[in-house]
Order: sequence, then structure tokens, then C-alpha cells
Amino acid sequence: MSRRFLTLLFCLAGAAALRAEPPSLLDPATLIADPAHDPAWQDLLARLAPGKNRLCAFVERRYFPFRRTPIVLTGEVRIAPDLGLSLHYLTPEPRIVIVDGRGLLIRDASGREQAVPADGRALAAVDALVDVLRFDLPRLQKNFAVHGWREAGVWTLALVPRNPSLASSLSAVMISGEQMKLGKIELIESAAQRVEILIGETREGVTFSADELARYFR
Amino acid sequence: MNAVEPARQKLIARGVLAVFILLCTGWLLRLDYAERISTNVLDLIPPGEPSPEVAVVRNLAGNRQARVMLFALRDSAAPNSPPAAAAQLLAGKLAHAPVFAEAAAIGDATAETELGRKIFARRFALLLPGWLGEAKRAFGRTGRPEKEFSPWLAERAASDLEAFLARPEAMSMQELVRRDPLLLVPKLIAQVGPFGLPGTQADGHALVWARIKPSPFTAEGQQPAFAAVERAFAQVRAQYPSVELCWSGINRFAAASRARIEWEIKTLNLASLLAVLAVGCALVRRMWKMLHLVPVIGCALLGAWTASTLAFHRLHILVFVIGSLLSGVAIDYGFYIYMQPSRQPGEPYADKLRRLLKPLLASCLTTVIGFSLLLFSDLPFIRQVGFFVSAGLLCALAAAMLYFAQLEQPFLEGRTFGRNAAGHGSRWRGPLRALFLAAVIIALVGPWRLHWQDDVRELDIPSPALLANDQALRTLFGDTPDRSVYLTYGDSAAEARRHLEDFLSYEARAAPGASAASLGLVFPTEEDWRKMPARLARLDGFAGDFRAALERHGFDAGAFAGFFDDWSRTQQQPPAGGYSKLYEDLQPVITGPLAQFYDADGPLCWFMTVVKPSGTPAPPAGLFTVGVDQLQSLNRVFTRYRWSALRLSLSGLGLVIASVFIIYRFRAGLRIALIPAGSCFFIFGMFGLLGQTLNLFHLLGAFLGLCLAHNYAIFSSESARAGAPPPAPIRLSALCAAASFGVLSLSRIPVVHGLGLTVALIVLTALAAVELEPRARGGAPN
Repeated sequence: MSRRFLTLLFCLAGAAALRAEPPSLLDPATLIADPAHDPAWQDLLARLAPGKNRLCAFVERRYFPFRRTPIVLTGEVRIAPDLGLSLHYLTPEPRIVIVDGRGLLIRDASGREQAVPADGRALAAVDALVDVLRFDLPRLQKNFAVHGWREAGVWTLALVPRNPSLASSLSAVMISGEQMKLGKIELIESAAQRVEILIGETREGVTFSADELARYFR
Repeated sequence: MNAVEPARQKLIARGVLAVFILLCTGWLLRLDYAERISTNVLDLIPPGEPSPEVAVVRNLAGNRQARVMLFALRDSAAPNSPPAAAAQLLAGKLAHAPVFAEAAAIGDATAETELGRKIFARRFALLLPGWLGEAKRAFGRTGRPEKEFSPWLAERAASDLEAFLARPEAMSMQELVRRDPLLLVPKLIAQVGPFGLPGTQADGHALVWARIKPSPFTAEGQQPAFAAVERAFAQVRAQYPSVELCWSGINRFAAASRARIEWEIKTLNLASLLAVLAVGCALVRRMWKMLHLVPVIGCALLGAWTASTLAFHRLHILVFVIGSLLSGVAIDYGFYIYMQPSRQPGEPYADKLRRLLKPLLASCLTTVIGFSLLLFSDLPFIRQVGFFVSAGLLCALAAAMLYFAQLEQPFLEGRTFGRNAAGHGSRWRGPLRALFLAAVIIALVGPWRLHWQDDVRELDIPSPALLANDQALRTLFGDTPDRSVYLTYGDSAAEARRHLEDFLSYEARAAPGASAASLGLVFPTEEDWRKMPARLARLDGFAGDFRAALERHGFDAGAFAGFFDDWSRTQQQPPAGGYSKLYEDLQPVITGPLAQFYDADGPLCWFMTVVKPSGTPAPPAGLFTVGVDQLQSLNRVFTRYRWSALRLSLSGLGLVIASVFIIYRFRAGLRIALIPAGSCFFIFGMFGLLGQTLNLFHLLGAFLGLCLAHNYAIFSSESARAGAPPPAPIRLSALCAAASFGVLSLSRIPVVHGLGLTVALIVLTALAAVELEPRARGGAPN
């Protein structure tokens, strides 16, 4: 049963998702055809791509169309290029979400785990988030049309999914910051349905101990 | 007796043997062996076995779960890219084969989407009763007055919804939540989560699931299915030449097991015959004369087969594997008659036979009495072995008496080495007595150190390659070692669901950190289903209370208008119909692999539960739940049968010994009783000291060995009384039995190996005792 059953229900959940209008930034004029070789962007993108372990604090705000105020979550994100991404939510409920090549694993405070298979459609948005946090340019270019705007050190990138399946549940990913620092990621489904992730203090080249690796990755 | 009588006797004997052979052959030729002989391990257990494990296993074996075949395709040219199109093609070809009932490529979400839609559409009938029931029980624990139930429930539901939105899956479920703010479906998803498989395209493989129509244990479920797979895959290879296929199914194990057992029957019989011939070459002067023993053994086997197939409608093939070694016992009577020299030249055969009749009858009848007691066993297999051996022994004795009546000189001369050793007994007396003393100590001490363990898997020949292939496939399909699988059963779907509720409560208490998932959670318990209309009726104000609670928790209650419409309709017209209709409604859309996880319409209904991580304690009996690992071994069931066999064997031994004391005087009777019992306890003592683990079949082997040893003790009775070494037939007979059972110990079926080894060792020990006992006593009168 099963993965298929689980996926089915996740699919069922996303099946009726509303298609969103892209933000105004998504203009043909802002399209970056080849971000890796565009002189205006390659320095920033090279800086954002983590070649080493990275640990950031974050605040996540989830906006739902049936709720007046966002749900606010806080935590830390760990990125180990070889192992994947680990989101450690601290509030309102401790939980670890691990995203790697095998899919998604949710580990609750008591250590109980629930896996979601790698091919689940529910993972599309998470995969997008992983690609963004890794700034894996070849994958980003393959899966998204990249738009950008940059002025006086402030910059914004908009990633529009090319895959219709992903596009049905994710209109765009907006990434913004100042200078060479990532400040915010928005996963936008519609104007009323989106997730904002505010990136706080970031530490590059962190060494994760064996205990940390066991706790935050698989 | 005058001169005419032997000729007449010869004629009568020949006629009786010919009629016997004709009747038996005629009967055996007209049998349908596929129908009468079973290779299914479960047929070893009686149909009326009350054990729940057996009932569940029988249900599984006879049900669609046993008919599942798993396929994994991999493209060797692109190992990281699952050949999904090839899998679709294979599934299509298999689905069109007449022997297959259904086949589907995993990843084709059509069926699952249909099921998901159905569950969502029927959520108020399927999931609301349980939600209300659980809430009612939780509210009851607060001790508040009934009138506060609706606001309490509304506040609780709104609070749960707010907490849910912080969960990782909430973003992908927001549209669902708008229609289902009570979280009926999201909670079900969370509960069935541990069922998760590693992926439809696991490890570069594309997977296909299929189910055959016939039973995998029948010929129709084996070769025709294999041929259909080969044909379908050939068509796939025509389009996708680099695709490779791995596949598994119970029918592959059943076919391999049948082929190997048949091979074992042939080779063991041949090897046994060669071993007996080799012993004969060493101990008999004119080897060719041993051919006269072949008809005796043939008649014994013919009689045993005929009698057994007359008495039992269906026999297990293991009866013939073990029974084929009946020749090792049956040959005893032939040797004893054939190798006895005449007292004086020209002694008539009838006189010689009359002289030998007492030990022959004593040996045969006491052994038959012993084996006949096995007819009272609860285990049909043991009854069949007891009957087969008893019938074979009687036929062997009768055939030996009749056959040798036809020979002019019915005498087989043995070699004479070792005959005069008794005369040098004094030199060996001390060491031999020390040896016997050591043997007695081992026989008294060793058996207390024995370990017993019965495992139904030892009844079959292990197939490591097939097992490894099957395990690899099951891993691709999501069967991982970090989970335990349980089956919760009941006489009806309602009872099974109630037991599942009890089991899940037990699991939550026994292993709070573990997750338990079951497809049964899709269905409510019958109690909650029946009480739902009344509970709904008492929730008049819930819609208002819930709107207010949602607003208090920061929600826009108006956004849930669809839900409130559904709620209002459900309250006005609660889901109706019988409880069983819930299952009937959903059954058409629970197809393919999902259908393996429950059975709500069989004679025994059950639900499968996956518990992660594995290693939680086995559920107590009152929960009507058995672990699948427990089912694989059926240890408890076989342990019970072993004790039953032990009681019967000991009773049989008692009867044999009592018969001996009736027939022989006390001193001779004591010797006859001690040699087999001592040999048996000595070997068990050795097993105990060496740490060998024994099972039911070692016990059966011990009983068989004991009866053989009993023969040697009887046949050597006279020579022992005279202080002489045993007569040549005993040596020959014992070595032949040891050789043939030694061959049996080469079997790859663990229980047959155990049985052969036990008999061979006991027989050799008994022979050593018979040979050495007069020398150890020494000073016997010549």
C-alpha cells in the first residue's frame, strides 16, 4: 500500500489547487536566458550556491486563503551538499524535515519517522525549495524560467516552473536579498496561498558532528 | 510334511504374491497422483487445527494474497532510468494472458486516484463515525456535562486544524482542508503513512504487480503462469531489447520445491539401493543372490503405497520421501529368513519358517503396534507415516515368507569375519565395560541438555537463490526489515475491525514511539458506525459552535462554506445501510496491490497492520493478531504436535516393551528392552552434549530407530544367551539400514536430514551394543 495510497491522497489534496497569476516581475524583459553566464548575475549565483555545509536560521510564514493571519514557524535549515537539506522546525512544534535523493522524511520529536517517496507529486514544491537553496543552476535552468531584477545591491529572482505538473501547484518561487546575501524565499501558489521564508543568520562551512548528521539527516 | 507339499506351497505362495502384485499395481495405475499427492506444506496440518496462526495462514494461502506475482524491470542500457513503458507493456500482456486475473504497472495512479476520490466522497460515512466515537470517548474522560460536548468538540477541532497547518504536508492539502476542516482525510493519511513504499521506480526499476487465477500450489498455477510470463517478456524484449526482468511468486517456490522433492525421491532411493548393495558386497559371499531381496522390498513398498492411498484420500509427498526408506526396515525380515542356515540338510522351508516365526512375528508385530500408535496423532502427516510404515512392514513380512518359499535353496551365506571374537573377550572386557558405563552416563545426562525447536520452514527444501531474488523484489516493493507486519482477524469484517481497534490501542501503549498503519483505518468500527446517527443528532449546535471556534483561531469561517453544507446534509440524512455495505461499496475500487492488505469477505476476515520500527513485543493471544514472522514458522503449532508425537512414541515404546516381556522371559526381555532404549537415549544424549537442536522429525526418527534396534535385540537374543556374537543377518540388516538412512541424512530437506541422521546413528549404536555386549559380559558359556 502504500506509497501509492499515500501519494494518491497527497495528489488528491493538490488536485484542486488554484492556478495563480504570476507576479508583475514576470515580464519577458526580466528573463535571464543563461544565468550561469550572464555577467550581471553569475557572481551572485556563484556566491549563493553552497559548495560547503551551510546552517541558517529561518522564519517561515504560511499564508492560507481561509486564514486571516499566517501560521508562523521558526527553525534552522542545514544544507550538506552530499546529504541534502534538513529543516529543523523549533516552533510551534519541534519537527525535522529531511529532503534528499530518497525523497522526504518527516521525523517528529519522539523520533517517529514518516517517509514520502521520491517521486511523489507532493514533493514538487519541496524539490523546488531544495534546488533553490542549493542554487543548483543546471537544475534550476532545466526546471524553471529565471527572471531577475537588480538595483543598488538589492536583487530579486523569480523562478517560474516549466513543468505543467509543478506549475499546477506552484506559480513561482521568488528569491530576494541584498548584496550577496539571501534574505527571503517565497513559494507562491496564489496571492492568498504562499509560504515566505525569511533567512536569518547564516553560517557557511559549518562542520556537522556525527551526532548532528545522524539527527538531522539520514 | 510329504514331498508334494513344498511344491503346492510354492504354487500357493506364487499365486498369492501374483494376485497381490496385480491388485496393487492395478489400483496404483488408476490413481490421479496430482489430485492424491500434495506438496503443500500446509497440508501437513490438520484441516480442523484450531490454532489462529494456521487459520490465518490457510486463509492467506487459499486467498488472492498467495496468487500475487511481482516483477521488476531494469534497463541495462540506462540503469538509472526506470523502463516505465516496458513495464506498462509487460503489465498489458500479462493482463491479457488467461492464467492472470489482473496485472498493473506500479505508478499507474488510475486505480489509486479512483480510490482516493471514493474515500473523500464517502468520508462522512467512512471516517466521521470513528472521529465522532473517538471524540466522544475523549470527552467522556473530561467528566464534563453532556451539553458541553458540542462547544468542546468545536474548540478541539479548530485547535487541531490550527496545529495541522504547521505540519509539513499542510501546504499541499489546503484545498482538501477547506472541504475537510475536521481533518478526516489528512488524519487518515498520517495514519497510513508508515505503509510507504520506497517508490514506484525504486532503484532504477519499474515495477509490475500481477495476480494469477489458479492456486500457486497447483500445476495450473505454475507452468502455465511461467509460460505466460516468458511469452509476455519476449514481446517486451522485442521492443526493448536491453530490458531485464526479475520476478517472483509463491508458485515459483512451490514448483521448485516439488521438482526438488521429486528429484530427492529418485536420487535418495537410488543412492539407498547402491548403499545397500555396497554393504551386501562387503558382507555377503554371492552378491547376485541379494537380488532375491528386491521383490520383498518391492512388495513392501507396493503394499504400503496401496494401503496408504486406499486409507487416505490425500497424502503429503513427504510421507513417500520418508516412507521410501521403509526398504531399510523391510529388508530385515528377508535377511533374517534368507540368511538362516538349515538345521540339517534338506530341512523343509515350512519347518525353517516355523522355527523363525517367533522372533519374526515378535519383531514385526511389536514394531507395527508401535507405529500404529502414531495413527492416534493429531497431525495427519504422522498418521500417514505410521500407517505407511505399519502396512509396509506387514507386507514385507508376508512377502518375505511367501517369496522364499519358492526358492530351492533359500539361503544367503554371509562372510565369516569377526565370528570368533567372543573367545578373546577377557582382554577387552574392562575397556568395553568402561565404554558401556560412559554410554550410560551420556544417555542419562545428555538428554537433559537437549534443545527443541520446530519450524515449518524446515519441512521444505531451502532455495537460497529464489529466496534472495524474492527478498530483493519485495524490498523494491517496500517490504523492509525495519517494520513488523501483523494480521488481525475475526469471523466477520465487523469483528476483525473491532479486534484491529483493540490491537492498535495495545500497540499505542506497548510501543508509544512506533507507528502503526492499517488499511482497516479506512473503515469505522461497527459500534461507531451504528452510533453515528444518534451522535450526530445530539450535535445540533455544532455548526455554529465550530464557526465561532474557527473565528477565534484566526480562520475565516466563510471559507469553509462547502464543508458546512456537507455537514448540514449529513446531519439531516446520516449515511445509512448495513455495516457490511461500507466494505461492499469500497471493494470495487480497492484493487491491485491495495487489495492484499485486507480481506473482508472471506471465511476469515483480517486486516494487515504495518508497525514501524520493527521489534515491538508480540501481541498477546486475546488480541486476535498474529505476526507474519510467527506465521512463517508456526513454531507454537508444531511444538504442540511434537509433544503429542512424544506422548504417542513413549506409549508405543511402552507397548513394545510390554509385548517383549510377555513373549520373552524377564532376563531376555530386559536385554531386548534395554538395547533399543539405551541406543536411543545415548544418541539423544550425544545430541544434547553437542548442542544439536532437535525437532519433531528427530523424534519420529528416534521412534523408527528404536523399532529397528528392537529387531536386532530380538534376533540376537538367542546368540546373546549363548554368549556368541550376533547372527550375520543382524549385522547385514543393521548396516543396510544405517546405510540407507545415512543416505537419507544427505537430504536437503532439513527435517528429512534430521530423521535420517537420527535413525542411522541409533541403528549403528544398537548394532555396536549387540556386537559388544556379549564381549563386555564375557565368560559366557559356550
